[in-house]
Amino acid sequence: MNITLVMTSLLFGGALAWYIESIKAQSARWIAIITVLIVGLYFALSIITAGYDFSSLQTLVRLSWINSFNIEYALGVDYLSLVLVSLTFLLAVICILVSWQEIQTKTGFYYFNLLAAIAGIIGVFTAVDMFLFFFFWEVMLLPMTALIAIWGHENKHFAAIKFFIFTQVSSLLMLVAIIAMAAIHFQQTGRVSFFYADWLTLELPPSISTYLMLGFFIAFAVKLPSVPVHSWLPDAHTQAPTAGSVLLAGVLLKTGAYGLIRFVIHLFPQASVEFAPIAATLGVVSILYGAKMAFAQQDFKRLVAYSSISHMGFVMLALFSFNAIAYQGAVLTLVAHGLSSAALFALAGMVYSRIHSRDLSHMGGFWQSAPRMGGFALAFAAAAFGLPGLANFVAEFFSLVGAYQRFPLLTILAAFGLIGSAIYGMVLFQSAFHGKGQDMREGKSSVIDDLSKRELLVFTSLLALLIVIGFYPNLVLTFFQNTDVTLAITTTAGGQ
Amino acid sequence: MTQLMIQSISPLLIIAFGLVLSLLLVAWRRSQKLMLTFTLAIFFAALSASISLMSDITNPMQVTTLMAVDNYGYYAFILVLVASIAVALLSSSWLTHTVEVHDEFFILLQLVVLGAGVLVMSDHFASLFLGFELLSIALVGMVGYSRSCQYSIESSFKYLILSASASSFMLLGIAFIYSQSGSLSFSSALFVTESASAQMSLFYHAGVLLFLVGVAFKLSLAPFHLWTPDVYQGAPTSVTLLLATVSKVAMFIVLMKFWFSQQSLFIQMPHNQIPHNNSNAFTTFDLMSSLAILSMLVGNALALKQQNIKRLLAYSSIAHMGYLLIVLMVISAKNIDLAWQSALFYLSAYVLATVSIFTVLQLSQDSNGNSELNVSDWQGLFWHKRSLALLVIVAVLSLAGIPLTMGFIGKFYLLNVAVQAQQWWILAALIIGSGIGLFYYLRIVFSLFILNAVEANHNSAEGLKVNPLVNIAVTALISLGLILGVYPDVLSAMLMRF
Repeated sequence: MNITLVMTSLLFGGALAWYIESIKAQSARWIAIITVLIVGLYFALSIITAGYDFSSLQTLVRLSWINSFNIEYALGVDYLSLVLVSLTFLLAVICILVSWQEIQTKTGFYYFNLLAAIAGIIGVFTAVDMFLFFFFWEVMLLPMTALIAIWGHENKHFAAIKFFIFTQVSSLLMLVAIIAMAAIHFQQTGRVSFFYADWLTLELPPSISTYLMLGFFIAFAVKLPSVPVHSWLPDAHTQAPTAGSVLLAGVLLKTGAYGLIRFVIHLFPQASVEFAPIAATLGVVSILYGAKMAFAQQDFKRLVAYSSISHMGFVMLALFSFNAIAYQGAVLTLVAHGLSSAALFALAGMVYSRIHSRDLSHMGGFWQSAPRMGGFALAFAAAAFGLPGLANFVAEFFSLVGAYQRFPLLTILAAFGLIGSAIYGMVLFQSAFHGKGQDMREGKSSVIDDLSKRELLVFTSLLALLIVIGFYPNLVLTFFQNTDVTLAITTTAGGQ
Repeated sequence: MTQLMIQSISPLLIIAFGLVLSLLLVAWRRSQKLMLTFTLAIFFAALSASISLMSDITNPMQVTTLMAVDNYGYYAFILVLVASIAVALLSSSWLTHTVEVHDEFFILLQLVVLGAGVLVMSDHFASLFLGFELLSIALVGMVGYSRSCQYSIESSFKYLILSASASSFMLLGIAFIYSQSGSLSFSSALFVTESASAQMSLFYHAGVLLFLVGVAFKLSLAPFHLWTPDVYQGAPTSVTLLLATVSKVAMFIVLMKFWFSQQSLFIQMPHNQIPHNNSNAFTTFDLMSSLAILSMLVGNALALKQQNIKRLLAYSSIAHMGYLLIVLMVISAKNIDLAWQSALFYLSAYVLATVSIFTVLQLSQDSNGNSELNVSDWQGLFWHKRSLALLVIVAVLSLAGIPLTMGFIGKFYLLNVAVQAQQWWILAALIIGSGIGLFYYLRIVFSLFILNAVEANHNSAEGLKVNPLVNIAVTALISLGLILGVYPDVLSAMLMRF
């Protein structure tokens, strides 16, 4: 399996789309989608044919890169990264489909940025050299910021700068922690190393490891996002173009969770266990606060953005419960939320393209003219509040069951978040599709077009996946059962 | 031996000899084109001499007591020369706008380069002061060169007076240091302070303090930065580039040479040895770190609201010099090599980025004839002049320290030094400063992408003609910034061998 090839061909496809668009208009989107499909197919085939056992981290490439600091170009995958990369590919297709009509200016450059962002995200999920990880972590930011800053809505520059600064400042903290880890490695072995597997063998003095863990934790908590460093998310989501929101909610937030699992918990098990009560509390606060704020929003996308904060709170709570079931729940939440929030943001984009507003008070009564859209909206809102039969239900159920064994009180509080999500989900659905819209009240008709074939394809595929995973969660969970990942976590927690 | 000495300072001799010939050339025929060609020839000759010497000499070599040449010095001089070549090329287009013949300008430029060269190779307070004054006085002439410009008198006077007072502070400091050590050589001051009594060391530290004031003025470290924005704005663009690169690089290198020779200032003694005497040494170290922190925060904070690109770059250069001071914060002698590598890498990234931005600045000034360019004048540049906009983006991201660019590796070096020295306060200031800095750097980048300004600015941008030669240079600058950012080993492996 050649991840480097995957990333370079995505970049190359993006550059090609940019170039061809200047020759023949409207061709960039075709090139983009063909590239993603071919590369995705290659990726899928190479997983199936690869003879590795991905239950532990398999290093695929290891080349020396910057010799002065012994930095390597090292990529590796395990089931966690494979699942997240697959999710990335799926949402990449969705992203291109939702921007099909939406993006009309500078189309070529848009698809270049989209594909570059996807390539960077895949790099984040597969890098096992810490410098390389940081490199991709930052590089994926640039095209993402460009997507918001160029094709965003009215307040796009503010949102893009806020997004960038939050991520950059927190990741500088992580960079300091990374360098300090490399220095500790030098002290203990006489050799500088940024290689992830080398770091796992280090014995960290407890006094330092708490600070180093915090350096990583803050960077990932910003990305996740968790209260109190969440405030970039509603702005970025609201101002981003539809595909930008889909990518942000669907995959970019998952890089935060991925970092928590891969680096914070594995590199600093002892410090994480000690920090767990605080992290879990932050998770619960995020759940309740996100749900409460979502309920209060008038802006369709802002509402969904706050609901993301709420859902990511479950991930935080579950991860820091150090329990096998909770861990499975957390991973499943990542996938389920990736699908359902992507669908909701796509829905917001489709409504926006019809009425040019994200304001819920301008909506209403869409059910009559667009019943199919209404049906899907109901289904995705139901997914967001965890209706049994859909993936989110299983995910949240697992998270709560697992977390209860360690933090009973916090878990009970977190369960109230489910009620909150039902409330804001229904608010969202009712104010958009039921009743009378402002236009209707003013005597004008509020007829909107129902879903086109392309939009139908987007929604059907997302809903089908949500239902399949909802009824048969083993599709994802099978990779995370009895892996040494879960074992390591349970033994650490058991040692307490 | 003498021949070897002469050979090892041959880049300086080339410049000095060329300077004399240039004066004769002015007497013989006044032609700006001829003068430009001749200046470039001298610079290239000095450049090739330095490059060939850099690979020859492995050990530092003392050339009389005045100078000590080593590979770090050569590399710094190469940086100076590269920046000066850029200055010469950029000013040639600007100088043709008036009818006069401006060959004096190039003579002043050569003087500046000579001064910078003496500075980076000096090992003695006398040669340091010589270089310092050569650099400053020639720069005063250049800052006020464009007489018709609104701010030229103001900025050159500001620079002259403040520069003169800074050098008098410096002289007093040198005198104090001399009174204690009895020698003007950097390295001999060391022996005295180790055995000095507390009373003697008071004067020594006062001397160091006053000396640092002079240097801090030149490096425009806060709180000695007040002249920077006005002079940057008032000087002709290519001269601003000279101020931002050559004078900063040369002063910083000489500061490092001085600092690392006075090891008692920063090496922490084991606690059982002379603790009472060491308290003074700590204050100088702390003073340096507070200068660094102050510069990072003040520079970045004041740049936030600037509209004028040159003023913005002035404040950002204050912050960058603050970041660079981190390399002085080493606490053990074995980290000095890393500090040198970091400083040179960071300076290279800084010079490259600054040259890139000023190239675009000069080109857009040539096209619209306005010397007061604001950030908003670059709106929508990406959509009609892609190569220039890409150059700005790479340069600005490099200054901001974002990966893919050289500036990120430079910042990585600095962070390494700071973590090794466990200077957590400076690290915190660096992170906060970079966070603030992003705000105005991103503002420049975003304005390049503004869509609806395309129509409005289209006409002025139409005039932005770029000839093929410039295009090649622009492409080279872009790829250099990216290649060294993605594969820094090209440079860092070389710096490690020094």
